Amino acid sequence: MTERAYTDATQIKGGDSAEPIVTMEHVVKRFKDFTALKDINFRVGRQEVVVVIGPSGSGKSTMIRCINMLEEHDEGRIVVDGTELTRDVRNISEIRKETGMVFQGFNLFPHLTILSNISLGPRQVRNMPKAEAEALARSLLERVQIPEQADKFPAQLSGGQQQRVAIARALAMKPKVMLFDEPTSALDPEMINEVLDVIKELARDGMSMIVVTHEMGFAREVADRVVFMADGEIVEVGTPEQIFDNPKEARTKKFLSQII
Amino acid sequence: MIVWLKRNMFRSVGDSIISVVVAALAGWVVWQLLQFVFITGRWEIIQVNLKLLLVGRFPEELMWMLGTSILALSFWIGAVASSSKRDPDKKTSLIKTGFGLLSRFGLIIALGAIIIALAGTLDAVLLGIGTVAAIALGRLVGLARRRIAVLAKIPWLIWQILLVALPLVMIVQTLLVSDLSEWGGFLINVYIAILSIALAFPLGVFLALGRRSSLPIVRLVCTSYIELVRGAPLFVLLLLAGVALEFFIPSEIAPGAIFRAVTVFTMFTAAYLAEIIRGGLQSISKGQTEAGKALGLSTVKIIFLITLPQALRNVIPAQIGQFISLFKDTTLAGAALSMLELLKIGEAITKQDDYLGQGLVYESLGFVALLFWVGSYVMSRESQRLERKLGVGIR
Repeated sequence: MTERAYTDATQIKGGDSAEPIVTMEHVVKRFKDFTALKDINFRVGRQEVVVVIGPSGSGKSTMIRCINMLEEHDEGRIVVDGTELTRDVRNISEIRKETGMVFQGFNLFPHLTILSNISLGPRQVRNMPKAEAEALARSLLERVQIPEQADKFPAQLSGGQQQRVAIARALAMKPKVMLFDEPTSALDPEMINEVLDVIKELARDGMSMIVVTHEMGFAREVADRVVFMADGEIVEVGTPEQIFDNPKEARTKKFLSQII
Repeated sequence: MIVWLKRNMFRSVGDSIISVVVAALAGWVVWQLLQFVFITGRWEIIQVNLKLLLVGRFPEELMWMLGTSILALSFWIGAVASSSKRDPDKKTSLIKTGFGLLSRFGLIIALGAIIIALAGTLDAVLLGIGTVAAIALGRLVGLARRRIAVLAKIPWLIWQILLVALPLVMIVQTLLVSDLSEWGGFLINVYIAILSIALAFPLGVFLALGRRSSLPIVRLVCTSYIELVRGAPLFVLLLLAGVALEFFIPSEIAPGAIFRAVTVFTMFTAAYLAEIIRGGLQSISKGQTEAGKALGLSTVKIIFLITLPQALRNVIPAQIGQFISLFKDTTLAGAALSMLELLKIGEAITKQDDYLGQGLVYESLGFVALLFWVGSYVMSRESQRLERKLGVGIR
């Protein structure tokens, strides 16, 4: 496995001396007798945008779900913002406060209004007073450009609008890193761009992000680095130009030739 | 009209035959029923025993307290109904509002009118008028809270507590002053049903959550409880409650029949509710829990703020069905625990000297059935309203 060491050797944003926001060392995750992640070594720098691509079943989602402990890794070390993930309950809730996640299927709370969906986290986890949390929610709705939907319920919104609310809900916790798990895969084609625009805006504002996606144009545009995964391994890491225009690994070449 | 008839009932020869036969049958049944209700029925048996049927041997001198409790309860219902948020811009005409009220409360009003007519006393008329007035007063108070700034500042919870305090104090007062063993008739059915529903609901939620717990012992206890209780006939449980307690406790200090009945109904209904609620919890997608976790919410908060509210809303019809069945099952307490509830009294009055052997069981049981039907139907209708009201966000 000599070539694996090289995946960690790529420069993170700010140079190797900078403290990374997420570090994964020798991470292994098994589901019964299936190994979903095999020895993942990876770092994400502060204010860096990392886009993860790869065929389905390659472990992309599992990898980012390990970062906020929706899945527990079996071996190795994951450090988020200087805190190592352990099974201690307090540690888990600390990590989850610092990481925001956006899901493929939105997962908004259907029984709550848009405003309550967004203000729930700050109120219940950060003990923010109601008025302050709602003001925050309204300002985030401005940011994702749907302030007029505040008092509706999720079912009354389009898919693109729902996903933007989901992004606002994650941002309300003021996370240090955002995890996007195929944020546009469940959307109708005409709604994909409105969601990608919001994510691009976030990238420009300097949010640290890991985005799992199949949108290659988007990856090329916003990524500082692109990670290609296959069969539970990180196969290749590089700038968008390196990965898309000049891939080194055979598996990367094959995947890119299949989708473009 | 004729076109509709043709299209829906006489489309073919077969259809026409079925339509005619069914119409004839229905007509005959309705005719017989009307004849019984207005001509052949001897309703004096109900008239004479009305008080017995409704409240049993409840002491005459304390009836005013019961009346006051009903008035206080009506006031509360009126206030709660008007405090719910409604679109202020939506204006409905007076006729439409009146029609809506009639379709919602018409049945209760009709039943009230029948009872007042049967009672034929001034007190009953006054109570009827008072109830309507109390509901109206409650609505006014509820509206005042929304219109008057000073009242609107009172926090929601404190306002609710203030409102509920009045009927609660009256009911508790009535309970304290009167001897519970003197309660009877429909009053005791309603009392047992309401108390059991109020106790069974939280217990059912607790059992449902326990059965899904990650702790094996909690899961085992809850699962065994649910399966044991659901495996036994309700009547057997009631009979057991009547005799089994004496094994452990001397009869002088053993709790009364009502306490035992409420215990059994609560335990029984909670087991069924637990399964209904568990079904509701299973219908909530895993993504909801994950979204809650991703925000950093604790497991308890995820359950009580996210999954449980959705689960309970999804199973409203089944839950209300269970409550309706509990309400009707309270009649079993009469036979099993020899309590003087409505059905027991309904049977007993046909054996009074004046009516013995005259076949007045139709009148008596008909009245009993009417009371239960109105109660159940109103519960069912109100549950549909609740479902619609909470259904705003359903996907």
